[in-house]
Amino acid sequence: MNSLLLIILILLGGAILAYLSKRISPMLSSIVSFLAITSAALVFFFLANDQEIVKISLGDFVLEWGLNAYSWIFGAMVMVMATLASLFSIFYMKGKDRLGYFNLNFDLSVMAMMGILFSLDWVSFFIFWEIMTWSSFLIIVYNGISEGKIGIKYMIFSAIGGYAMLLALVVTRSQIHSFLITDLIHSFAGFSGNMQALLGLLFLTAFGVKSAVMPLHVWAPRAYADSPMSYTAIFSGLLSKMGIFGFGIMLIAVFSHSVDGTIFVYREVLAWLAAITSVIATFYAVIQTDAKRLLAYSSIAQLGYIVMGLAIGTKLAVMAALFLAIMHAIYKGTLFMVVGAVERQTGITDMTRLGALIRKMPWTFFAALLSIIALAGIPPLGGFVGKWMLYESLITSDHYFLIILAFLSSTAAFLYSFRFLFGIFLGQEEKEFENVKEVPFTMVLPMLIGSLLLVVFGTFPGLLFKPLASAMSFLGMGDVSWNMSMLSNGWGDHVDTLDVINSVVIIFVLVAIFLGLKNRKRTRYVSTKDIHTSGEIPTENENLTYAVDFYKPFERAIAPVMKRKMDFYYNKFGEGLETFFDFLRRVYTGNGQTYAFYVIVFLVILIVFSQQIFF
Amino acid sequence: MDTNSWISILGFIATVVLAFTVGVSYGGIVRKITARIQNRVGPPVYQNFFDIFKLYSKSTAVNHGWMQHLGPAFAITASVTSLMFIPVLNGQGEFWFANLNFKGDLIFLLYMMVFGSLGMALGAGQTGNPNSAIGVSRGLSQMVGYEIPWVLALVALMLQTKSTSITGIMDYQIAHGTWMMFESPLAFIAALMAMLGMFHYAPFDVTFAPAELSSGPASEFGGKYLAMMMTSGSIFAFVKLALFVDIFMGGASNLIMLVVKTFLLYMVPVLYGIVSPRYRTEQSIRYFWGWPTLIGVLGVLYVVFVR
Repeated sequence: MNSLLLIILILLGGAILAYLSKRISPMLSSIVSFLAITSAALVFFFLANDQEIVKISLGDFVLEWGLNAYSWIFGAMVMVMATLASLFSIFYMKGKDRLGYFNLNFDLSVMAMMGILFSLDWVSFFIFWEIMTWSSFLIIVYNGISEGKIGIKYMIFSAIGGYAMLLALVVTRSQIHSFLITDLIHSFAGFSGNMQALLGLLFLTAFGVKSAVMPLHVWAPRAYADSPMSYTAIFSGLLSKMGIFGFGIMLIAVFSHSVDGTIFVYREVLAWLAAITSVIATFYAVIQTDAKRLLAYSSIAQLGYIVMGLAIGTKLAVMAALFLAIMHAIYKGTLFMVVGAVERQTGITDMTRLGALIRKMPWTFFAALLSIIALAGIPPLGGFVGKWMLYESLITSDHYFLIILAFLSSTAAFLYSFRFLFGIFLGQEEKEFENVKEVPFTMVLPMLIGSLLLVVFGTFPGLLFKPLASAMSFLGMGDVSWNMSMLSNGWGDHVDTLDVINSVVIIFVLVAIFLGLKNRKRTRYVSTKDIHTSGEIPTENENLTYAVDFYKPFERAIAPVMKRKMDFYYNKFGEGLETFFDFLRRVYTGNGQTYAFYVIVFLVILIVFSQQIFF
Repeated sequence: MDTNSWISILGFIATVVLAFTVGVSYGGIVRKITARIQNRVGPPVYQNFFDIFKLYSKSTAVNHGWMQHLGPAFAITASVTSLMFIPVLNGQGEFWFANLNFKGDLIFLLYMMVFGSLGMALGAGQTGNPNSAIGVSRGLSQMVGYEIPWVLALVALMLQTKSTSITGIMDYQIAHGTWMMFESPLAFIAALMAMLGMFHYAPFDVTFAPAELSSGPASEFGGKYLAMMMTSGSIFAFVKLALFVDIFMGGASNLIMLVVKTFLLYMVPVLYGIVSPRYRTEQSIRYFWGWPTLIGVLGVLYVVFVR
């Protein structure tokens, strides 16, 4: 049997089986879902290859599925992270109700993503795209937290994206009489300038919604934050990457065949939008008090970097963007699992109330620490490699003010990175969390695997450069040079990751031995109440936590930027529409004579303009 | 191991010792200068050496968990690793003690230099001392402030020299027989203003603010930990000065030039700080986003359109 079809069928069957097996036992439903995704992943890694093509005839047209170097990268990312997330999900979702419903949609999302990646024609792309939107919508409303507001926001923006894509498909079809993606790529150069501009705008809108580029991002923060965390791990990590996948096809493969001018403007505008998105979203992440919201805004910011890289479109920039996309899937997936673990053990994710879980949940902390180091882009972990390449590509392609925005956003990212670790794992010990235990092994394992992947890819980025280079040459970027553990830019400057990690590890281990091993035995542990307080002795119930308004000074400094949310403008737009329709309503006065007057006016217009209208 | 690797290890140790000695001596000199300006006698200039060696011999009685042990280790790892990537002495186009000079570039270094503060912040965080948390929150906020003019200055240099590595920028200065501080003066001014924040002297000493936070992040660390952090701080001060000398003043060809140049640079934040009161955090952020950023932007435009 064809392995691509097999993967889709396994996931579809897994979804249905998971739904049905809920009747037997809720836990079984999660396990079935995990097994289905795992076996799909095994099929993907060991059987699938780029020779296979699936053709399904549906009436007039044929749906075509296949695999190529570009979609393999994304497919591998989806399969690995979905496997980890579903393993995490088994115990995370234990004891929650409607597990069948949850697992059904979880598997359908994964299936839809694989379907999008396999699609060779726009019709199956669109079908799977809508399945993905619907299944994720159903999970967003699963928790039932103000589902009307969040769900509708998500639905409206997905609809905008969906309609834009549908319109683009229709236009494409009318131009080239084919739905194949490759046909669009090759015939794009022949289109007129206006047609190129229109198609570009439509497709970019469609993909911009999923990858949360400003001003299409407003659905994302709440949608990410209010879904169950085991799903958000793939929602923020993978579903958003489908937008990136589409951006890659458009910005690299399709636009490279375009006349210059409009498309160049699109690239620059998109790069600037993405940069502004990342700065503003980072600022919002800094002022959040809820760990989930913090990560949600941070996801939007990180996606900004990725889109920026794709929009710049030089070899190094695209490599950086794709590398960051994979890294983001790993570390953000891991971080959402960390929040999920904390939520499961303590019941809350509010960073002003949590604290000092490091001694209670050391493994979770370890995973969080590595992921945060990668997120902040600090060497020697994987996130640094992507960020470095992005900056170098920005500066060597003369985008010198974009690099400032990127730096602003990534320096401000240190603020929320520290806040996340401090708010949850460090600080004053609270009585409330005295009896918190580490999560079960099946929840720790996926987090640890995720964070170890970051270490591996930080030391040997070449492991990823190899498939990425072939993906990029598939998209038509020619040969891309890469090195196992050496990063270099167009000016001939480089960073040797192996030397960096050697230096860091050797010095760190030496110092840590000097300080840690010796002092650990000689010193005794004291509670966090036993600290230097300038001679005052805090009483048992005195609160020494510094967690509320953690970055108040910073908030004050950036206050002018934060006055208006994008929501404000959408609301104003909505109010404007209401006023407009209210005016239209006045047309229907309920008076027969007015209607007669309208008819006469209409006839007069017809007579006057009949020449222009009918001939 | 062959002779070459022994020599490079010796070079590594020599660099660290040099950085430590210079950094700690400067600390002592600053204490003396401050005292003289405040009309005190002040400690002898070698007092800081005594302090550090004394602290290394102390043992610690209590701890708050393993992140506290590792915090100073993170800090010193970052300072020493950064030091490895910075050319300290160069003459006639060759680099002495070229530890890892050609293995990393400026953007890497920017991130490496943050590694330590973030690690130390985590160590300070576990102690649960509210002063530490406040200090870290202020320090990180202020960092967002001064990084902007600093990065603008670096971008101006990179665009002008078409290189992102320190050695590349130094080669450019040698080839053109000039210093970057004269080649792009606006960038130098922006970087100098950012440097005021980088060294945490008044008016930008919001992080350690001895009067209100009892030295902030460091307040829960004593004995070996404090010695470790002082060592790291001294090396880090030297790293920043050497970096400035390398990219703006054409590097140093011998020890005397190195000391003269770094000392002159160091006096800028010190002398400015001694006569200044303290900003509030948001004032200090806004300060950096005001004139320094504007000058930095002008510096970049100057390089792009005039050069």
